[in-house]
Amino acid sequence: MIKIEEVRKSFGNLEVLKGIDLTVDKGEVVCLIGGSGSGKSTLLMCINALESIQSGRIEVDGIDVHAPSTDKNKLRRKLGIVFQQFNAFPHLTARENVALAPRHVLGLPKSETNQLAEHYLAHVGLGDKLDAYPTQLSGGQQQRLAIARALAMKPDYMLLDEVTSALDPELVGEVLDTLRLLAREGMTMIAVTHEIPFAREVADRVAFFHDGVIHEIGPARDLISSPQRTRTRDFLGKIL
Amino acid sequence: MNNISTTFTANDLLLMLQGAGVTFLLTIVSGIGGTVLGFLIGWGRSLRAPWLYYPLGAYIEIMRAVPLIIQFVLMNSFMAILGYAINPFLSGIISLTLYIAAYVAEVVRAGIDAVPHPMVRAARGLGLGYIQAFRLVVVPLGLKTVLPAWTGLMLGLMKDTSLIAVLGASPPELLRSSQIIITRIQEPLAVLTGAGAFYFIMCWLITLAVRRYEQRPLLQSLGR
Ligand SMILES: Nc1ncnc2c1ncn2[C@@H]1O[C@H](COP(=O)(O)OP(=O)(O)O)[C@@H](O)[C@H]1O
Ligand SMILES: [Mg+2]
Repeated sequence: MIKIEEVRKSFGNLEVLKGIDLTVDKGEVVCLIGGSGSGKSTLLMCINALESIQSGRIEVDGIDVHAPSTDKNKLRRKLGIVFQQFNAFPHLTARENVALAPRHVLGLPKSETNQLAEHYLAHVGLGDKLDAYPTQLSGGQQQRLAIARALAMKPDYMLLDEVTSALDPELVGEVLDTLRLLAREGMTMIAVTHEIPFAREVADRVAFFHDGVIHEIGPARDLISSPQRTRTRDFLGKIL
Repeated sequence: MNNISTTFTANDLLLMLQGAGVTFLLTIVSGIGGTVLGFLIGWGRSLRAPWLYYPLGAYIEIMRAVPLIIQFVLMNSFMAILGYAINPFLSGIISLTLYIAAYVAEVVRAGIDAVPHPMVRAARGLGLGYIQAFRLVVVPLGLKTVLPAWTGLMLGLMKDTSLIAVLGASPPELLRSSQIIITRIQEPLAVLTGAGAFYFIMCWLITLAVRRYEQRPLLQSLGR
């Protein structure tokens, strides 16, 4: 379970998160929607301690993420994260990209990490691209590689930050299919997305971010088809 | 006077070969030392902690602004004052190392900065520690950017080694050896052409070594 309580976060004088409360249960899929700059990405990075917070508390399976005593590297094994930019390591093949963290973070032997890599690459439909370098892959394939790379650490949660936003329209579908697959397998996910139909289909709940707060949250269908607040309605009206 | 030949002898060739060897050694030793030190300085600066960033920046500016020949003399006198009236070679190597490190540091910092931050964040997001992410992602990616500039620095360093002559180091390096011969046989054109050829061959060897290194699959993959 991920428990976010009263989280505030500033960059210098700019307060980006102004008191966020959100609890995500095991197996749940929560989509975050909202305008650019409303703090969605920042929240994801606070959840796995890539960013610090000023006040409040984030707990992952009972671990206080931002406590000084928390081993952040170890915590991050529980939380896979995939970004908008694919960030495939360009000097490594697909297999090596996926095997890197299991090898160096978990210390697994090479034979095992290669197997892991092959398994997860096949899982995201890249079974025939094991030895390809990222530059030889399309955007959609690079993004699926990034997903496989996160999955190979066998995380309990996946944090997805607009993973289809940098893709050409014709490549969005294949990545969304991969996410659907994860959802079906019961992966707990927090996904920032602008794909409203996808959110409606896959998410249990949708949260609408505005200006550093969760302005409205509710079951996916309800929030998307009958938003209660004007700002949510305006946003959905603009994006749909 | 009849035991002093005024033509180029076999001994002269040996003297020049020895000079080339001295030049090469000076370059290799201070090149390695300067690269290690410069790497640490460049890395330190890339952390952007003010207490480290500015002092290291000052070091770099000073080393780049003061002519190397002055640094040689100052270092030698400084050593003497400290009571280490040491071998001019050692003091020369120390000067060259400190000098080239300042240039290497800037190249290293540029290499580190050239690696996009999101790439590093992705590595950390996988659970890699700071040092692991640096070693496994930043260094291999930065190397690609850095190698051509670094090679240029090393070739420049080789030519700068000739300034060690001000310390009267013996045996003389290549340029000094050539001057000794020229003084005697009065054939500057021929001797300097020969010395130039030696410098060229040594530069070419260094370039070749770097090029072989660049052929490694790791760096090849980045060129795709
Ligand atoms: N590293 C940073 N330094 C300073 N400001 C930042 C940084 N990251 C994000 N911001 C600012 O924080 C605000 C929220 O950004 P972000 O969380 O990326 O929003 P979203 O993902 O909802 O578009 C924006 O105004 C952005 O400019
Ligand atoms: Mg964002």
